[in-house]
Amino acid sequence: MARKPIRICTLFAALALMASACGGEETTVTPQTVVVTSVVTVTETSIITETVTETVTETVEVEVEKENPLAGKTVTVFGPESSDTEAGAHQAALDIFAAQNDMTIVYTGERSFSDLINAQAAGGNPPDIAVFPQPGKIADFAREGWLLPIPSDVQETMDDNIGAAWNAFGNVDGVQYAIPTKADLKSLVWYRPADFTANGYAVPTTWADLKSLSQQMIDDGNTPWCIGIESGGATGWAFTDWVEDLTLRYQGADFYDQWVDHSIPFNTPEMNGIWNEILALWNTPGAVYAEGGTISSTFFGDNGRPLVEGDCMMHRQASFFSAFFPEDTSFGPDGVDVFYFPSVEGDRPVLGAGTLVSAFRDAPEVWAVMEYYATPEYADNRQRFQNLAQGGGAVLSGFLSPNTNADLDLYQPLEQSFLDILFTAEVVRFDGSDLMPAAVGAGSFWTEATSAVNGDKTVEEATQAIEDSWP
Amino acid sequence: MVGILNTVINLLTAAGIGAGAAFLIYRGGRRSVTRRAVAALSGVVLGAASLWGVIAVEKLETTARGVVVSIAASALIFIAANKLFDLTPDRWSVFTTLMGGGGAFLVYAMLWGNRAIDDPVLRTAAATLIGAAAGYLLGTVDGKRARLAIGTGAGAALGALAASGMRRVILIFEREEGPLELWPVLPNLDYGVLIGLTLAGAALGLLSRLVRRRRTALVRPVILWASVGFFIGAWCLPTLGTGTKAEALAAAIVTGAGFGAVLGLKPIPDAQHRGRIEVASRAYIFLLPALGFIAATLIVPTLRTLFLSFHDTHGREFVGGINYRDIFTSSNIFDAAGWPGIFTSRLFIAGAALVLIGLLAAVLAGRRSGYLMSLSPGTAGAAGLGVFLVATAAFAALRGTVFNNLWWVFTVTIIATAAGLAIAVLADRAKWESLAKSLIFMPMAISFVGAGVIWRFMYLARDVSKPQTGVLNTLWVGIGNLSLSRGPGFFLTVIVILAAAALLVRLAVRAWRADERTVGVGAAVCALPLIWFAFALWRGIGGFEVRDNGDVVASTIQFVQRSPFNNVWLMLVLIWIQTGFTMVIFSAAIKAVPADLLEAAEVDGASESQTFWRVVIPQIAPTIGVVVTTLIVLVMKVFDIVKVMTNGNFDTQVIANEMWQRAFTELNFGLGSALAVVLFAAVLPILYLNIRRMQKAAA
Repeated sequence: MARKPIRICTLFAALALMASACGGEETTVTPQTVVVTSVVTVTETSIITETVTETVTETVEVEVEKENPLAGKTVTVFGPESSDTEAGAHQAALDIFAAQNDMTIVYTGERSFSDLINAQAAGGNPPDIAVFPQPGKIADFAREGWLLPIPSDVQETMDDNIGAAWNAFGNVDGVQYAIPTKADLKSLVWYRPADFTANGYAVPTTWADLKSLSQQMIDDGNTPWCIGIESGGATGWAFTDWVEDLTLRYQGADFYDQWVDHSIPFNTPEMNGIWNEILALWNTPGAVYAEGGTISSTFFGDNGRPLVEGDCMMHRQASFFSAFFPEDTSFGPDGVDVFYFPSVEGDRPVLGAGTLVSAFRDAPEVWAVMEYYATPEYADNRQRFQNLAQGGGAVLSGFLSPNTNADLDLYQPLEQSFLDILFTAEVVRFDGSDLMPAAVGAGSFWTEATSAVNGDKTVEEATQAIEDSWP
Repeated sequence: MVGILNTVINLLTAAGIGAGAAFLIYRGGRRSVTRRAVAALSGVVLGAASLWGVIAVEKLETTARGVVVSIAASALIFIAANKLFDLTPDRWSVFTTLMGGGGAFLVYAMLWGNRAIDDPVLRTAAATLIGAAAGYLLGTVDGKRARLAIGTGAGAALGALAASGMRRVILIFEREEGPLELWPVLPNLDYGVLIGLTLAGAALGLLSRLVRRRRTALVRPVILWASVGFFIGAWCLPTLGTGTKAEALAAAIVTGAGFGAVLGLKPIPDAQHRGRIEVASRAYIFLLPALGFIAATLIVPTLRTLFLSFHDTHGREFVGGINYRDIFTSSNIFDAAGWPGIFTSRLFIAGAALVLIGLLAAVLAGRRSGYLMSLSPGTAGAAGLGVFLVATAAFAALRGTVFNNLWWVFTVTIIATAAGLAIAVLADRAKWESLAKSLIFMPMAISFVGAGVIWRFMYLARDVSKPQTGVLNTLWVGIGNLSLSRGPGFFLTVIVILAAAALLVRLAVRAWRADERTVGVGAAVCALPLIWFAFALWRGIGGFEVRDNGDVVASTIQFVQRSPFNNVWLMLVLIWIQTGFTMVIFSAAIKAVPADLLEAAEVDGASESQTFWRVVIPQIAPTIGVVVTTLIVLVMKVFDIVKVMTNGNFDTQVIANEMWQRAFTELNFGLGSALAVVLFAAVLPILYLNIRRMQKAAA
């Protein structure tokens, strides 16, 4: 039975062999295990009769006779990193792997990633691999059945290279769906030490110090903060980072965890107090330099240049922000430096974030790329290229790898200290809005925060609306 | 092989483009040697350029291939279908033979393509032969019993042929080397359901015949519908794949015999009937592809959206009307709490005063002429403006997505229509008419997204300590500086403005004396803001702010951020685009007003404004109707501008963007679909009106 298709298949195989013969390259025929694995699953799970098994096995034989499993294949990757620096380095790191395997990997970066990936996945037209900045979204997608679990061999590579704490963010209901590829340290304030010494300011070590420093700057006629929360479809996220950082500082890690998983309502007096605290600081006359006229219309990435040019004294933003400073910016005591966003109680908690990759298509080439993401080679290539894209040498690349086997020599001392903080701080929490369900973490939290910052709503109205929108 | 094909297609594309261009140029005017040379040269250049483009750009080659192949395939299908039906009047048996063979081939090719049968080549060939033979016999044999036997037999044979080679499962490859998926084929018959559906089908056939009161030939529709019922019961409902070969055989033979019997029961049509078949078939040949397209791209998605709107966020569980309830209970979407604010706003008071003044003047004028009230353009204009202001005050106080959308519809429709009409009238027969109209029409060529980006730059504000870069804020801050400077520029500006105002006043006085009252009042009204502006400039106006300590700092307008009037600034973008559209349509309509009507009005001594209001406007009323309804539908669906400029933040959300955010940002497909249905339902009646008006206008 079913002889015709097999004949056609063999014909194709013969053609492929002829083609390779014409190419004149002697390639060893390596059996491919991935397809065989999927056949086994099929046999186990489906209502199978002998006919099927026969057909499938024969198909497999054809598959096996292909020479280089990855050659000529194309893998598409889609992610939120869209600046020339980040997207360029990402693509370059992928290109190396692609060149080694004679395949094509295309990375596309888009600021409105979180909107578009939903439309793509729901519409049945997802990329092969997506770079998620939000573990909450990975959970949503995995429960929709859109993501593929990571095969055991890829997971082994991942476990060998990346710490369990980070891998846990890609784990949904006990199944691993994603691999961490980037780490960000969020509790940082960027400033220029030269400005501080010239004015006689000291780096604040407590939240109260920070507030009084801010006031002192206003009194001296300086503008303390550069703030902007505009970010396309994700407008508002920069405010949520402040909320998360201060929640960790005022209420502690336990409260934070309960707040994130919604065992504590969103609109408790504690949370409203934190929102009010931030808005009071931001809305003090003279406190904020907003490049775009108002905080809510200033693109978050547009805060680098004003800081360098002295329009403001401080900017609270994650470690990746170094990629948003003008190209010739020097980092360190002589240029732009960072200090730790001070804590209230002195417990020095740290807010982190990052990206994870997850796959939509079950194919050997996709899993090969996924496995590459888990290796120190990807981490090192990415860091090397991103450093170059920033000008090379002693610059901050804006990239930090969660890969524990990454080459630390590729990082500047400041970056090494970031990594050190991320991996050793006692209290480290992932960005809360990224962990919440999409309706909140990528929806109402952002939009209501924008409303509150813009003064369209009171804090109480905004947090109530977020609470109501929790699915 | 593929390479050669590609080259051929590339050459064909390039030759087609080049020849088309040459032909257009050649035909464009007087045919001379120069024109011929120019045409040939442009054809060659354009052809070469497109050949280079198609080869150099990878995507273009794929696109060109797709276009050429699909055009060729559609053309072939069209021609073949038309040729086939050409046969009906004179060579009926040839037609039935081809139809029988082709029909059987299509069904078997489908089974073959889905890998549902073994030995597909052999079986398809056999089936084609059986079908063709049956077609030939049915086209020639006359005897009733013989026809029935032929039809039933051939149908049963075809069914048996398929079922005997039917595989138990089909393999479906999701994508190249993607996960394997298996679809079982053999039906597991549920006899109760099967008999029920067959009987239901038979009853339906009986009913259809009785309703149409044609009691003749009852048997055919009954068998037809019974067969349809049986087919659904046997092949569409049961859990496929767990059945046996015997069941498949039974199901296939009965289905085939049923449909075959229907064909056999039909007598050979007479010459008149054949002619009718030929005529009717043309319509279907040309309609079917379009209808298939509409069904796949419009009707199916609409039904699916309706389905989703009654289900939960993932479209799995039925939740009733909860999504619709959520729309009208969410304060972000529907918030009427601010309604008392309507009556205290300055806009409302000014609008209400205008309405009162307009009506009062109309009543006074009516007393003179003996009517209850007599609306002149002036009084009606004042009252209309008043109503517009009152409505704006209401929309500014009622917040939420739904009211924003209504506000868009109201404002954009009215202003774009009025401005388009005004420009069309004023530019009519004026000097430089076509240039002015082209300029105003030009924004139509810009996409909504592009316009949104452009206007974002227009509205841009920077930190007040920096020079402004947005055009409007630069102007605003510039006026502030001018107003504060009291230098020569300031005095010059004031003098120029006052001079312009004086000219307008002079015009008003003259027009009033010449009994052109409307023009006089209009000029006077236009002079007022100029005088006010000069006065305001003197007092201090523009983008600055005096701090408590006496420092003067720049102050910008947050066009896009300040609610609720940021909505109006966004609407301006759409008005900017759409005014060109309305202007062009109105311009054409005005030019189509018969000249004798206008001459008759002139002979009767009507003034320009009387001619306009009483002759031109009634003549173009149907056009106004079409333009207004088209605009309403377009504005109701506004999305791009809001998405680009604010993404619905700052109280500017509209239904279409809300739908996008709910469905695709928050993955709440239930609520998103419900919003889509609401939008659809709101657009539908207006669309209906629009189509009816257009049909009337065409008639």
